[in-house]
Amino acid sequence: MAYQVSIFLENKIGRLERVTSVLKENRINIQNMSLIHTANGWGILNLLVSCPERACAKLCEAGMSASLRKIVALEMQDVPGGLDGLLTKIASAGVNFTNAYGRVVEPGQKAFFFIDADQIEDINEKLQAVGLTPVNDDLIYGV
Amino acid sequence: MINCSSDIKMIWNEKIECASREEMRALQSERLVETVQRVYHSIPGYRRKMQEVGLVPADIRSIDDLSKLPFTTKTDLRDNYPFGMFTVPMSEIVRVHASSGTTGKPTVVGYTRKDLNMWAEVVTRSLVMAGAHRNDIVQVAYGYGLFTGGLGIHYGTENLGATVIPISGGNTEKQIRLMQDFGTTVITCTPSYALYLAEVMQEMGIRPEELKLRVGIFGAEPWSENMRREIESKLRLKAIDIYGLSEVIGPGVSCECQFQAGMHINEDHFVPEIIDPQTLQPVAPGERGELVFTTVTKEGIPLLRYRTRDLTRLIYDRCECGRTLVRMEKCTGRSDDMLIIRGVNVFPSQIESVLLEMSETEPHYLLIVDREGNLDTLKLMVEVQGQFFSDEIRELQALRMKITHKIESTLGISVDVKLVEPKTIERTAGKAKRVIDNRKL
Repeated sequence: MAYQVSIFLENKIGRLERVTSVLKENRINIQNMSLIHTANGWGILNLLVSCPERACAKLCEAGMSASLRKIVALEMQDVPGGLDGLLTKIASAGVNFTNAYGRVVEPGQKAFFFIDADQIEDINEKLQAVGLTPVNDDLIYGV
Repeated sequence: MINCSSDIKMIWNEKIECASREEMRALQSERLVETVQRVYHSIPGYRRKMQEVGLVPADIRSIDDLSKLPFTTKTDLRDNYPFGMFTVPMSEIVRVHASSGTTGKPTVVGYTRKDLNMWAEVVTRSLVMAGAHRNDIVQVAYGYGLFTGGLGIHYGTENLGATVIPISGGNTEKQIRLMQDFGTTVITCTPSYALYLAEVMQEMGIRPEELKLRVGIFGAEPWSENMRREIESKLRLKAIDIYGLSEVIGPGVSCECQFQAGMHINEDHFVPEIIDPQTLQPVAPGERGELVFTTVTKEGIPLLRYRTRDLTRLIYDRCECGRTLVRMEKCTGRSDDMLIIRGVNVFPSQIESVLLEMSETEPHYLLIVDREGNLDTLKLMVEVQGQFFSDEIRELQALRMKITHKIESTLGISVDVKLVEPKTIERTAGKAKRVIDNRKL
């Protein structure tokens, strides 16, 4: 099972940089990121990194509120209609997700689609039942 | 001395309000002796406190003996919640009022029929001090209900014989319409609400000259001389400061006269003292300190040396208005951490207990009080960590709403809750700084 790191951030100058400086210090590479902002002056930063457990521990040590969150990555073709085809299968598996994001792995060839799996029971079984195999953790973390 | 002939009184109760110091002290002495006898025999708490310092009622022979008596605090009222400090059976209590307390439990006060008559009398005196008379139309824009403001002023106004508009608080546009239509001459509300009325009036395109307002009687929260000038110029009326607290009676404990030079204390009912809040010893005459009241006529819930926590000084000089009632200056602060926000008493510990209920760990929070557009605002910053952290936006938003609702239902005023990152609220070596009050009073 793969994990992303989620961090509570206030929308203020220098706050995102506090996170990246901790990662830099610990030589942790970022594979993917998404930042969601709310109208209340704060947001959640989701990071896919080379070693999520260590990243989370280091960020907490530095005084931030961070946690690990289960995700599932699915491979898809990097072509028009690629995501549509994948989503049709995910829907037929009866999997409903909240947060998601994507990453191109080989332009024009291959991409990964990440979905939030924290609240979904037996997600792997459900996906496998419709012929979808989650991407291996090593490939997700890029190690 | 201003004489009171004809129908319109300039001083409501001249015999008392213009009494000589000797006459007043004799009256206070007689009433104090009687009060001490009564509470000693009817309230075990008072009896125990007096016994602890070796006092019997016979030791209190005059007002000079006042400082021998033990103090009463808000904690005593809270520990005896709700009716434990009442000296008469409930059948004699005709009304209760309550104010917010430190732990969510309100402070409850009870009034006998005689107490209500006395209250109406002191409010009537206050209205007359402020320059009101029986021909006035008085709009009472203090809240009616458990809060003493609305009903307190209401009965004093009826007792004066003036016309009451019992509109209560809020509904600002309607307030202004009624001022226009009914020809309101006297408005009573909190000073910050007075400024808000002026603002809305301007938005509605109504000039104060079109209204008949002549006097404003403002209280229930601290306000400055600058604010007075602003209110007076914006509403074109004379702005009078009134003081009171529900434990003692409610509004009408003291009030300014036309000369606006301190509030005359109705000291035939509420005997004031000033003490040093650290040593608890009386200060030299005229010196600043904490205001303490002993009620000498109240039946429902008489208080011996009740510590108000308000800081002020007493002025015994004769006032130009002719009254000899001692005056107190505007209160300059508090000897505890209570805040008065939009007329509501707020203790930081109330906020803390709400947060503690929701978390096992000690919450890090900061209260920021501001005055924006003449209204007090309360902002609460809470650090997102431990139980207060989730990596899900909707959960954090739900948490924020939950904190907001809990605090609003505890305090009765709205609060803007801001979630902030851990360690961003400043820690100081000693006690954590929990409150920043940016209001310029």
